[in-house]
Amino acid sequence: MICTFLCATPLIERIYAADDVFKKADALFASENYFEASIEYERVLFFSGSSEIRAMANLQKAQALKQLGAFGKARNDLQRSFHFRGDDSLRFEILYQYAFCSYMDNRSDEAFATLLQLKHAFGHFPLHRYFLLQAMVLADLQQWDDLRTHLELWITKYLDDGIFLQNKLVKYDEILSGYEKVFRMDAERARLRSTFVPGLGQIYAGEFGWGLLNGFSQLASLAAFGVMAYNGYYIASFFAGLGPWQSFYFGGIRHAGELAATNKNNRLEDLQTALSVFLLAVDAYLADN
Amino acid sequence: MKHLLIQVFFFFVLIMMTCVANARDVDDSGQLRQEIDFILHLIAREDFDAGIYLLDRIDNQDSFLKDSLNYLSGWVMYRQKKLEISAQKLLKVREESPVFHKSHFFGAYNLAHVGRHHDAQNTLAQIPVTPGGMHEAMQRFQISGVALLQNDFNEYHKQASHFNGNFHVMAQQERNMEMHRQRLETARTPSPALAGILSAAVPGLGRVYAGKSSEGIISFLYLAAMGFTTYDFYRGGGAGSPMFIISASVTGIFYAGNIYGSAVAARRVNQEFRYEMEQRILFDMHIPLRNAFN
Repeated sequence: MICTFLCATPLIERIYAADDVFKKADALFASENYFEASIEYERVLFFSGSSEIRAMANLQKAQALKQLGAFGKARNDLQRSFHFRGDDSLRFEILYQYAFCSYMDNRSDEAFATLLQLKHAFGHFPLHRYFLLQAMVLADLQQWDDLRTHLELWITKYLDDGIFLQNKLVKYDEILSGYEKVFRMDAERARLRSTFVPGLGQIYAGEFGWGLLNGFSQLASLAAFGVMAYNGYYIASFFAGLGPWQSFYFGGIRHAGELAATNKNNRLEDLQTALSVFLLAVDAYLADN
Repeated sequence: MKHLLIQVFFFFVLIMMTCVANARDVDDSGQLRQEIDFILHLIAREDFDAGIYLLDRIDNQDSFLKDSLNYLSGWVMYRQKKLEISAQKLLKVREESPVFHKSHFFGAYNLAHVGRHHDAQNTLAQIPVTPGGMHEAMQRFQISGVALLQNDFNEYHKQASHFNGNFHVMAQQERNMEMHRQRLETARTPSPALAGILSAAVPGLGRVYAGKSSEGIISFLYLAAMGFTTYDFYRGGGAGSPMFIISASVTGIFYAGNIYGSAVAARRVNQEFRYEMEQRILFDMHIPLRNAFN
């Protein structure tokens, strides 16, 4: 009995001793076995009685899931630690990672709300990463004016250099000015243009070739109608001339709207890529100075 | 005295070794229990990949534990809709296990769902059941469902003659199954060949016969317009005019395509009906399983 008490109890308790609780998971993470690491962090979270260790395990699991590209899952898992009321830096990190994973999971609205919460609760914390993420989120939400104000605030906070600030604001305006037409592009306007002038909607959407092709097709079918009718083929002119023309006409209107919507999205993606490059460059400069 | 001391010493050594061995057993079983608790936690969080990964790593020779692991793996696969692998795992559970009936009924259902009707029927037939009990009623009900999936009405009637509505978990589904049988037996299934012939006679009529009236009317209007156009070219330029030849060729291609399309439409209607009935039957087979075993 004495031996059992002496030998067995420590053997069982040693399994999840607090001092080496992250050892296995960290080793797996370090060796880039992220899936296995995420399981081991979850194991720590499941078996640990300490809320702090559980929060840390959850955070580390999110890091492993991020490496696997599973941002949605990481985001869902981090929600479990929202109730954690311990160390402030850990709480900040949980919220920040939640905002980051939300942004990466195409939930910019949620990322924005979390960042506001972060700013309100942890304004005194070093917020460098916060500023970059906030800028990315604003770009994703297409809040161009807010992004400009945010950029100004960000640079002013970390660098006392008016010229640099001015240069960056001018650069930002330049990037946006290249896309002014895109902001105004509208599928309904494209459809309206094609309704009155065949092919004009496609040209408005930036697809000159498609516009020319549609306009030519309509002209050709109308010409066929005229020629056939002139030669006395009245039935044929109706079905083989006017029939194709109405297809080209209504199809052209619909196509113009689709092109405008697709091109606008594509161009906005280009703009967001350009802005991301710009914002990362600003972040790198501020970090170095 | 010396011998006595040696004996006492070995006695203590023996006790120490026994205690350490026992402690390790306690440790192993404790670890295993914890591991299974953890896996159940992962499954509850729908982290199926992690659950399966850990289940596959447990190496234990204990038969009862193997049953539990097979059941758990099968259940996780079932939740992931990997029904073929789920059936494999579930059907490995031995008769001695308390989850034997659940595993084998669900395993057979999975086989039926993936289209392995014959295997499902064999599996169901081999499940040992107590006469007059719920498991027997369930067995008959499931076999009747599989029989309907195979259009085997004789087997269905053989099993359905025992339906008595005594078990509330499947009383409603027994009635539903009878309705499915009636629909399957009385449904009019359009013949693709006849649909093609009808469309050859009157363009679009085959589609109307197949139950696709709007498609049939549109086909008719299109071909009528093409026919009139061709006639117009024939009237103006004669049989040798290029416009007539082009128009007649195009109309001929569309005419032939419409015949083929009508046959395809009839086949598609049959497939849609068959698919709908399969889904209804599988749905009604599934509900009693969930009611009885969950």
